[in-house]
Amino acid sequence: MIELKADKLVFSCPDVHASAALSISFQRTLRIPDDENDYPLPPGLGEFPLRHIDDHADRVPASWIEHGGVMLPMYQSEAMWLYFDSKYDVERHVDYPFAIKIATGKINAVSGKEWKQGLHRKPTQDYVVVPGQPWLDGYCVEKGIIRQFVAMPLGAGYTAEEQITGKAEHGGLQIMAIPMKREVYEKRFPKREPARFSIGRMPHFSMSDSCAEYGEMGLAPGGRMKQDIYEDEFDLADWDLEQASRCFVHIANSMVWHQITGTKPPTTPPTAKEYTAAGLPWFMWYDDKRAGLKGSKVLGSLKSIATLGRHKKDVPLPENTTVKPQNVIPLRQGLNKNQVREFEEVGQ
Amino acid sequence: MKVQPEFGVFIRQRRQALQIRNNSFSVRGLAKELGIQPSYISKIERGEVAPPSEETIVRMAHVLGEDPDVLLALAGKVSRELRQAIVKRPMLFAELIRQLKDAPDHALLRVVREVRDGNW
Repeated sequence: MIELKADKLVFSCPDVHASAALSISFQRTLRIPDDENDYPLPPGLGEFPLRHIDDHADRVPASWIEHGGVMLPMYQSEAMWLYFDSKYDVERHVDYPFAIKIATGKINAVSGKEWKQGLHRKPTQDYVVVPGQPWLDGYCVEKGIIRQFVAMPLGAGYTAEEQITGKAEHGGLQIMAIPMKREVYEKRFPKREPARFSIGRMPHFSMSDSCAEYGEMGLAPGGRMKQDIYEDEFDLADWDLEQASRCFVHIANSMVWHQITGTKPPTTPPTAKEYTAAGLPWFMWYDDKRAGLKGSKVLGSLKSIATLGRHKKDVPLPENTTVKPQNVIPLRQGLNKNQVREFEEVGQ
Repeated sequence: MKVQPEFGVFIRQRRQALQIRNNSFSVRGLAKELGIQPSYISKIERGEVAPPSEETIVRMAHVLGEDPDVLLALAGKVSRELRQAIVKRPMLFAELIRQLKDAPDHALLRVVREVRDGNW
């Protein structure tokens, strides 16, 4: 089952295990320059608000009601990243494992394939695994490189969906979460003695009237960012597909969010130029123990927003100045206690 | 008040997870947000002191994006709001809890609002 709690999607599978729960939040962030340079990870600037579609059924397109799910507001050319956090099992000292499929406009953000049920590893893995993959910032285009998720109006031709299918049909995000089978989990992660310390883990496009009227948005590939999408270290049969649950996340243009919900959307984030000039931190994530996926050829062939804009003689990104992040904070998976302390001191 | 090690472990784990990309979740940052001493946060996380007051736990839940009832339960507490509801109708709630205490989760979850999935 899926609940909406404090602007997070919470997937829980109590029939599988008491700890089988996963929360996904949608983080506001700055848009990295779309200039073919490879950037470190930008910060989280807070969560996008999430609302039930059904609570605003009289002010959203009929297709949204048919899809069900939730909605969030984004400004045109605003970026986002997804934060995954599965429940910590205090008896086994581990976060409950989940496989997560993420698609934008029903195009898989890891494999570039059109949405289909189940989990696949061939020809390419089409999901991420948590814990281990704490976030996803964009499309997996090369080994160690993603292109940032950037909101663009559905129907303008920039979204991954439109570039691949030639249609502006779905938009939004589609998410499916699959827990690990209980018996596999209990065998792989036996109970342990209580610990006093936790360990840091650490074509031609047709644009329907409804797209424009409701400010319906999709996600398009923006600038390049250094981020690995990791291979699944478990067996494919470890995942409990019978307990999978899914959610359609619609994206409304922030300019019409108030008309739909009666509430103000978040303010626009700072530009990469403003953020970097202020000396604020960027991040690099290292996990030497896991292997990164090669990246999808389909996604790798997509044109970025800036590139496509030049082809269209359009200026889709209002600010796209190259920046040179100086303050880059390294983060590593599997931090030991002392390393966590070092990091805390740096932070304080 | 009894020390609840699980509460401290949970708080530390949540705070560190959030701190990875938002440094306001350092021990000092969280302490400042809550208006308490950083050393107190450290002691709570290490399980050296009992969990803080209900008010502080609720604020802590808000800052960390957690459910206040879950944090209160980890701290061995029940919120004032729930206590008042029980005290108002003690026999009804006592009977209700006794009857539901062994019910499977899926039966209890029927009263929870789910995100509706449609056709797509």
